[in-house]
Amino acid sequence: MSFKSALESGKFVVTAEVGPPKGTDIKKILHEAEALKGKVDALNVTDNQSAVMRISSVSFCKLLLEMGQEPILQMTCRDRNRIGLQSDLLGASILGIKNVLCMTGDHPNAGDHKEAKAVYDIESVQLLEIVDSLNNGKDMMGNELKGATDFYQGAVVTPESVPLEPQLIKFEKKVTAGAKFFQTQAIYDIERFKSFMGHARQFPVKILAGLVLLKSAGMANFMNKFVPGINVPQNLIDELKNAGKEKALDAGIDIMARHIRQLRDEKICDGVHIMAIGAEDKVPEIMERAGLL
Amino acid sequence: MIITKKKDFKEFLESIRDYKSFFLIGCSECASLCGTGGEPELAAMKEALEAEGKKVTGTMLPKTGCQTLGTKIELKKDKEACAAAEAIIVMSCGAGTQSAVEIFPDKPVFPSNDTLFLGNMTRFQMFDERCSLCGQCILDKTGGICPVTACPKGLLNGPCGGTNEGKCEVSPDIECAWVRIYNRMKKLNRLDDMKKPLRPKNWAASRKPATLIAREKEEVKK
Repeated sequence: MSFKSALESGKFVVTAEVGPPKGTDIKKILHEAEALKGKVDALNVTDNQSAVMRISSVSFCKLLLEMGQEPILQMTCRDRNRIGLQSDLLGASILGIKNVLCMTGDHPNAGDHKEAKAVYDIESVQLLEIVDSLNNGKDMMGNELKGATDFYQGAVVTPESVPLEPQLIKFEKKVTAGAKFFQTQAIYDIERFKSFMGHARQFPVKILAGLVLLKSAGMANFMNKFVPGINVPQNLIDELKNAGKEKALDAGIDIMARHIRQLRDEKICDGVHIMAIGAEDKVPEIMERAGLL
Repeated sequence: MIITKKKDFKEFLESIRDYKSFFLIGCSECASLCGTGGEPELAAMKEALEAEGKKVTGTMLPKTGCQTLGTKIELKKDKEACAAAEAIIVMSCGAGTQSAVEIFPDKPVFPSNDTLFLGNMTRFQMFDERCSLCGQCILDKTGGICPVTACPKGLLNGPCGGTNEGKCEVSPDIECAWVRIYNRMKKLNRLDDMKKPLRPKNWAASRKPATLIAREKEEVKK
């Protein structure tokens, strides 16, 4: 079943994420992707994540298709103007890529080419409008296309953003612009996430809760300090600390599996997006402990 | 105003090494307020060049250095001093420098400043960029705060995921433009405006090189 049909059928959907490497040696990432085959509903392919130059997202999505995996093409507005974005979307479409996640993209300042010119000719809300237009057989200028696209388009939202209201206004703009599904920034406090979902449920969109695998108390503290919109509660940090260094990852897997169970059993959202960040080989284990496999 | 910053003096000296005598031009407008091309800076530059064994044939502070014709007329009184100089040094912005290029077709012209941005002086000699000269002002739609300039990504429809308790992901020294816009629009009871999506910008409105004839065409002919 495709990612779109799975979501629309009401199945609790699981997506994970792979980051194309820097360089042409793709053995490791192919191996990771292979291990997730038949387990997750779709795999996000990041687009020069953290503004670090890597293999292009479109080309890696094509490799996943050849492996029989369903990709979600992440597309940021940092590196291409409106001509480049539309051209790459048409290109992705003829390669058989069906899902696209429209994002603004981290600023070049975060990456390894800090002197790069940041493009941002278009931003996430406008990119969603563009995808909708291409799906309807027209480019963003209204010019007729010979053959339309058929994308299932999604976007991102940060439920823990402070202040929250500007983020919710943008969320609503993304819904109006045509987003069909959302993958959220990492959430750790399920009660607070429920209140976000209370708001999100007013709209006809599918929501996948973003979950980042905690590998140590240090990592949790680091994210709390440096990653905007991530807030790991103290009781989870204590749980990792008490597990001890060697068992911390195991505790992190437990935490995520527990959260997935709760999100699914209480029907809080429509699925989860697992970001294992370098521990993609642990995804099947997380899913097993969550009772998904 | 146009914000300028003095070039590193050693690098500047390297740019003028082939010449020995100079005429210096400042500007009483922006460069004076920036402390890069007013009366005291002209005097300091003269002294510094002389200490390096260079000759300064004269200095001049035009009223508005980027007003080419006016500056040319003002320079008439310095005709001899200008003629005696091998090269011209302009201590204002890139526009002022190019006024001199037009006025002195036969002399090399060197800028002593780097031109940074269009901004406001918030305190004495403290400057913030405020306008990107995009050619299509949207301040009416964004609560009077320019996201094209104040957001490092120039986002038009709200904050990105990098916004963090009112600060920007690019630097904690930057206030998130969209949180500022949100706070102001909320205060003015205009949050509904923030909910209206803004279309992609028309960058053709700021295509370079821009030119404008603001007066009536008839008058141009005369």
